[in-house]
Amino acid sequence: MKQVIVNPEKCVGCMQCMLACAVAHAKSESLFAAVQETPKPRPRVHVGAGLFNQGFPNRCRHCDPAPCQLACLTGAIFRDAATHTVFINPDRCINCASCAMACPYGVLRFHEDTAAPPGKTVAVKCDNCDARVARGKIPACVEVCKTGALIYDEMGHALDQKTRQVARTMSSDAAAQGLPDTVALYNTLKQATVKAGTAIRR
Amino acid sequence: MKHLIVGNGIAGINAAKAIREMDTTAAIVMVSDETFPPYSRPMISYVLEGSEPHEKLPLFAGNVYEDLNITPVLGNRVAQLDAKKKIVRLENGADIEFETLLIASGADARHIRVPGSELGNIFTMRTQKDVLDQLKAVSQGVENALVLGGGLVGFKAAHALLKRGIKVTMLITSPYPLAMQVDETAGKMILRELEDHGLTVKVGVSVTAFDGDATVENARLDSGETLDCDLVIVGKGVDPSLRFIEQNDIQTGYGILVDKYLCSSIPNIYAAGDAAETFDIARQTRWINAIWPEAAIQGRIAGFNMSGRKVSCPGSLGRNVMRIYGLDVMTMGLANPENTDNFEIIQAGGEKTGAYRRLVFHGDILAGAVLINQIEQGGMLRAMIENRVPVRIPRSCLMSLDFNYSQLL
Ligand SMILES: Cc1cc2nc3c(=O)[nH]c(=O)nc-3n(C[C@H](O)[C@H](O)[C@H](O)COP(=O)(O)OP(=O)(O)OC[C@H]3O[C@@H](n4cnc5c(N)ncnc54)[C@H](O)[C@@H]3O)c2cc1C
Ligand code: SF4
Ligand code: SF4
Repeated sequence: MKQVIVNPEKCVGCMQCMLACAVAHAKSESLFAAVQETPKPRPRVHVGAGLFNQGFPNRCRHCDPAPCQLACLTGAIFRDAATHTVFINPDRCINCASCAMACPYGVLRFHEDTAAPPGKTVAVKCDNCDARVARGKIPACVEVCKTGALIYDEMGHALDQKTRQVARTMSSDAAAQGLPDTVALYNTLKQATVKAGTAIRR
Repeated sequence: MKHLIVGNGIAGINAAKAIREMDTTAAIVMVSDETFPPYSRPMISYVLEGSEPHEKLPLFAGNVYEDLNITPVLGNRVAQLDAKKKIVRLENGADIEFETLLIASGADARHIRVPGSELGNIFTMRTQKDVLDQLKAVSQGVENALVLGGGLVGFKAAHALLKRGIKVTMLITSPYPLAMQVDETAGKMILRELEDHGLTVKVGVSVTAFDGDATVENARLDSGETLDCDLVIVGKGVDPSLRFIEQNDIQTGYGILVDKYLCSSIPNIYAAGDAAETFDIARQTRWINAIWPEAAIQGRIAGFNMSGRKVSCPGSLGRNVMRIYGLDVMTMGLANPENTDNFEIIQAGGEKTGAYRRLVFHGDILAGAVLINQIEQGGMLRAMIENRVPVRIPRSCLMSLDFNYSQLL
């Protein structure tokens, strides 16, 4: 099963994923119409600035077991057996924020939402774009991410890729750790060219 | 294997679920005096407020007893436990044998014992039935409500009644509400917010008697004052429901003392939730943290251990989050230590800035926190307190309203 995988070192902090996420969860699913909508569509992925101002796309990990699910006061949080996605039922949610206190990643937000009863503030987080995926599309954040910080892949395959990538950095002279974000971007470009079969020298 | 679970609250239900995950055939008997299907206890104040209907209380859509193949014994209180013979006796005289027992009997609301406290319209707030009774009284017309106690439940009751347009007076013995959970700065912010929304708060007073014919009409206070009231909600805390346990049978402190597998001093007898006294991670001592998330996780861990899968519980952590009109308040761990000698406390913000942060450090370990507003990242602080990881990043980052996960990487 494919899932969204985050490669934080590749994030350049452009926040395109946030915009795409908000649009994907708008009634209209279109940027131009979305800005006019009430409730205002909001993202479920949050790019925060790290200690060195590096970008980091923070989204729900759909943990198993999910701390938010165990902490939910009303049983509103549940896992979909088929997709392993952790969902929040907006009809049961009472906006108590018990889940926010449980989530170790700080990915929950509280606001009105098109999926919730009108006027009701509820807990909102990533739903793995279940509606898009059901239509054969990939999650919106991945679709717009140009650096490979967000990919949609089988976990096993992504791990293989990562292992190969690490092996390559160990045998080359590239400094693999502590890269500032410009270098991270450079790395991404380099990786893309390596994939395309052309090695470039530094 | 025959498992017996006393209590159908979240601790009992999660234990049954965990047992079923491990063992599809073991017999599970669940005894509870509440006949209503397992429900969200914290939601009852929303039912009182009117923002959620009573029908929404049940946690499960279908019949959870059937789905988990549990034999329910409802409407019956356990009267006595014979730990040696491995039998519990119900109030109706029936005996139930067990091989493993989970005490998930939760807690009972403390009543107030003063002359007149048996009058009508004086309620505690613990069960769905309490709220149905309160709603019946409200539907007959209530003008002045009195809430005793400024803890979480007292506060929630007051909030709900205010939302119904009822005049509410809250009596608290401490100088500000939620004194067990927050420090003075936060407490005063909360007090101001409640007063701005019409709550009358009287601090440092208590009730000496109630007067009335059949139902309560007024309350006499130790200050000499008399207050008109036609509804009283007592929020004076809870006591673990352990009356069926003989002293000396099982080691008890305030609740049932359990080890890290949530096993009591008797093998095969476990305890979880509001009835269990566990090790408090922030306080580093035994404590009952009577909150939903603890009951939920402890029930699950106890269930695994009962079915033979050893799972240890790292301990418990007191924490709460509440929305008080315009204030979102999150408090966790040792937020307000009595003796501050060994602690370093940093705080910022307050009433004027609209947001407040207070962090309590023990050496380089975070022991407690209070956040007012912008609480979304609070779960990370909770995780830091719970895991007792030394804090290596600048403390100013943790205090910042922009604090986010990437700063921990
Ligand atoms: C109004 C209100 C608001 C709350 N808000 C929050 C909140 O915001 N956040 C939070 O974390 N927590 C909150 N709580 C606390 C939370 O509800 C409890 O911590 C939690 O329900 C405890 O679960 P439990 O399974 O341990 O016990 P309980 O839910 O108390 O269940 C125990 C069950 O066992 C039954 N029982 C007891 N003794 C016997 C006996 N001898 N024989 C048979 N049956 C017996 C009881 O009737 C009960 O049904 C709130 C509580 C109340 C009342
Ligand atoms: S909201 Fe947080 S705790 Fe819940 S599944 Fe997502 S990442 Fe995990
Ligand atoms: S805010 Fe909603 S989803 Fe989160 S714990 Fe409360 S009821 Fe559950």
